[in-house]
Amino acid sequence: MIELLAPAGNLKMAVEVRRAGANAIYVGPRGWSRRRDTFEMDDGAVREAIRLAHDGGAKLRVACNTHMQSKEIPALLSRMERFVMDGVDGAIMADIGATAAVHRRFPELSIHASVGANILNDADVAFYREIGVCQVVADTKLTLRELLSRKARLDVGIEILIHANTCYTYLGKCWMSPYARLERTIDEVGKDLFKGSPNRGGLDYRVCLETWQLYSGDVKWEDRVALKNEAFFLLEDIPSLIDLGVRCLKIQGREYATPLVGNIVRFYRELIDAYAVNAPGEPFDMSPWKARLTAIQAERDSQRSMGTLALLAEAKVPVAAAR
Amino acid sequence: MAPAFELNTTISNLRDLTESDLSPYDAIYLGNITCRLYEGNLLEHLDDLREAIAILKGQGQKAYVSTYTTPRNNDLPQIQKVVAAAVEAGADAVEVHNLGVLKIVHEAHPDLAVHIGGFANVYTDVGAAVLKRYGAVRITPNYELSLEEIGEIQREVGLPMELLVHGKMPLGISDDCWLLEYEQTWGVPCPALCRQELFLKQGDWAMKSIGKGVLSGKDVCLLEHLRRLMTGGHACFRVEAASESPAYRLEIGRVYREALEAALSGSDGLKGQWWDTIRHHARIGLCNGFYFGTSGMAYHGVQSPGADAAEAQRSGVGQ
Repeated sequence: MIELLAPAGNLKMAVEVRRAGANAIYVGPRGWSRRRDTFEMDDGAVREAIRLAHDGGAKLRVACNTHMQSKEIPALLSRMERFVMDGVDGAIMADIGATAAVHRRFPELSIHASVGANILNDADVAFYREIGVCQVVADTKLTLRELLSRKARLDVGIEILIHANTCYTYLGKCWMSPYARLERTIDEVGKDLFKGSPNRGGLDYRVCLETWQLYSGDVKWEDRVALKNEAFFLLEDIPSLIDLGVRCLKIQGREYATPLVGNIVRFYRELIDAYAVNAPGEPFDMSPWKARLTAIQAERDSQRSMGTLALLAEAKVPVAAAR
Repeated sequence: MAPAFELNTTISNLRDLTESDLSPYDAIYLGNITCRLYEGNLLEHLDDLREAIAILKGQGQKAYVSTYTTPRNNDLPQIQKVVAAAVEAGADAVEVHNLGVLKIVHEAHPDLAVHIGGFANVYTDVGAAVLKRYGAVRITPNYELSLEEIGEIQREVGLPMELLVHGKMPLGISDDCWLLEYEQTWGVPCPALCRQELFLKQGDWAMKSIGKGVLSGKDVCLLEHLRRLMTGGHACFRVEAASESPAYRLEIGRVYREALEAALSGSDGLKGQWWDTIRHHARIGLCNGFYFGTSGMAYHGVQSPGADAAEAQRSGVGQ
């Protein structure tokens, strides 16, 4: 059975997504994942999330998918040791060195390469396999042809994002946000939160979503240029992905409200289960699912727009005056 | 005796190579790394690439051949041809931004010198150590790193770090060229589109667009800090000029050649005419990238050209 992986930005969300039918849950230890610290957890909460997930029959993974500093590697390893002792089922990582170091120290721990690792081709996958990764999150531009090639040629689990963003730039290869604003904040356990740099563990100010004017020299050519950056839901492709043997369908969204994330997980749980009992070869009617997704999408869009406006406003706040 | 430092720059096609006076530079990175459709891209025109390598070797300069930043499966065969041509023509090194390409290159050419490019996302000493096992002999760390972090990687791994000392810093890369939407409106077709000098602006933010690539609007400038870089053990310096004019390459290159030689001899002096040249070519202003641990568009130093107090505060300078 394909795995449905859901986010938990807090313990309440962990409970909700498990109830809604997630097979696995991921959380971000504070300062170590690609989200604002508000949507991450301290070590005690991670331990509790592991217990909640396991009690409900689900797996729990920790997302340590930032590019940390060299001097933070020992802290990462000691934190990972604690998570392993607490029974974590796997880690989601992006940094080459951190991945290799965690694999060397915990060879039994399953490591999934984050979308932030920006794995684009089969040779990339082979490289990450060599440093200890057993499953890779596909970038959002992966084509069906590329997916088939990866399945055929490589012994690796494939994880597909079914709710996420397609950034204008490749995720993990963009530092527009910290170019505009970077706030260095050390938290109470000594972790630099790098607010403004998603690659390094802080929030992303979504600078690309500004309305830009385009100039050639001093001449304005366009008054409103929008770089593409859209949140998406996969729907029509879900049956094919299941048939192709994709190992995991992943929902992003730790930053959204718990009821919305619960609804998204419930929707996909029911869709996957309905397809599982659909007779092989028989047509699967997507129309009721499309209608249901429309309402979820409207709520998601509303929350995302408000979040973007707040982030863009925050990006213009002087560093010293920020909270 | 090995030279005390290397100043290098970037060239996308044979026309830029032949129209540019590259005498200030010790080495040139060949090829446009962002787009296969870039006009005359040396990574697509292998006869031009061979000729470019021969020209540089004839001038006593090193020829490095770059590769695409974000290749998908269908780009890999061309990259393999480029690397084979580079080896055959006697290129001094190949620059790799993608880890899959690194694996392919190391397996096919285990003795080839490989430089790791800035898009390979080297953030840590342990990451650099992994890449060293795959043949890396030089690393451009990710642009987000501070000088302190870069120094730590260099000390721990023992590989030279290459630093962008001047020019527009890459901020992101896409597989999608948004400029294509404007071909008809502007009457400028691809591949001439991305050779326009285009800036995206919003308030005091500015980024240069080269279609699939986004660059800093401001020019990174480390002119004031060259002695510090050399004292820190750095010797590989890049002027990023793939999307600039021949005049930019020559004049900025001359400034840095003179300034590096002065710094090498222990001089802290900065000539006024250097700043005149730098300011002339910096359309939006100057910044220091992330080298000092603050936002990429901040400028640290006494010159502060183009940096006002509000911007310094937002960027965290002096925090």
